[in-house]
Amino acid sequence: MDSDRRGQWLRGVLDLCVLALLREGESYGYQIAQSLDAAGVGPIQGGTLYPVLLRLQRTGLVTAQWREGGSGPARKYYQLTEDGWTALHQGGNAWLAFVAPVTGIVTKGVEG
Amino acid sequence: MNADEWLRTFAAELHQRRVAVDAARHVVAEAATHLREGGGDPWLVFGPPQSYAAAIVESIGTTPGPRPGPVRLHARGINKRYGRRTVLRDAALTVRAGQIAAVVGANGCGKSTFLRICAGLVSPDAGEVTVSGRLGYCPQQGGTADFLLPDEHFVLVGAGQGVARGPARRAGRTAARHLGWDAEGDLLARHLSGGTRQKLNLTMSTLAEPDVLLLDEPYQGFDQGSYVNLWDQLVRLRDEGKAIVVVTHLLNQLDRVDVVLDLTPAQQGGRS
Repeated sequence: MDSDRRGQWLRGVLDLCVLALLREGESYGYQIAQSLDAAGVGPIQGGTLYPVLLRLQRTGLVTAQWREGGSGPARKYYQLTEDGWTALHQGGNAWLAFVAPVTGIVTKGVEG
Repeated sequence: MNADEWLRTFAAELHQRRVAVDAARHVVAEAATHLREGGGDPWLVFGPPQSYAAAIVESIGTTPGPRPGPVRLHARGINKRYGRRTVLRDAALTVRAGQIAAVVGANGCGKSTFLRICAGLVSPDAGEVTVSGRLGYCPQQGGTADFLLPDEHFVLVGAGQGVARGPARRAGRTAARHLGWDAEGDLLARHLSGGTRQKLNLTMSTLAEPDVLLLDEPYQGFDQGSYVNLWDQLVRLRDEGKAIVVVTHLLNQLDRVDVVLDLTPAQQGGRS
């Protein structure tokens, strides 16, 4: 039940999280998954992450490029586009406007 | 199922769902990179190959196959006997531009003979073959010159088409790269492995830009990776509008063909 609910939340907001992380600079799938985990979102499996990245690429919010890492293997690096910035800005604000009242209501319920 | 097997199955699932060749290659490579960096069981990281392939299709869509074009090769009523033995009885095949046809059947059922008849190298006892456009033929073996370098083969094919040495060499190397082969070496053809010599053979048969390409078991001596590259290349050529006929004794899930001619005697004749 709990992980089910978390999965549903993630589905709605994972693309925004990815866009927000890419704001700090280009990155590749595995590193994005690690950043999400490190931020406390929890482990995101490749099977969940890559379809989101591909969708972002298809809709032009990110671009991708295969490059050799410093010493590691060739990786597909994702980069935020102009449209990606706009989508992050709008989607991010919409998300914040949504969670603020939800947090308010739930907080009252939990504490009250 | 280990990671390599999972990736192979996943790739096959993408192909079966008609994900564009290059897109599929990138998705598989990305999954492989992820598994290499993070480790973990692909079944947990990505789930079953079938459902992950379905998720990918949902994200990036598929390429609908181009509509088949005009008939490029039409063989009908082909009969051939060697002495008392009837090798082909009323064999027929129609292949259009933008289609791959597979000629299958047990050893000795006349697959190569049928192809050689289509190529005009052997006369049938009855029946006729009509080819429209330029024809390319890749024999099962031979076709390469022992004492020439791969580059010199490309120059030779180019000379036949009035293409200068430099561009011919470049075209050859590019075509070879599609088969996962770096043809720049300085090994004479006779020192190449059987599989590599076959890649040279294949490369040459595509260089002349044929409209109809006839291939006789073109993957002899290929490893699994080369085999996958070959089929990627065939699909690419098909999508460019070539008509392709492949003689093969094995059809697995990677093989993406539009028409099958089964020459096994019990069920002589074509089926699509």
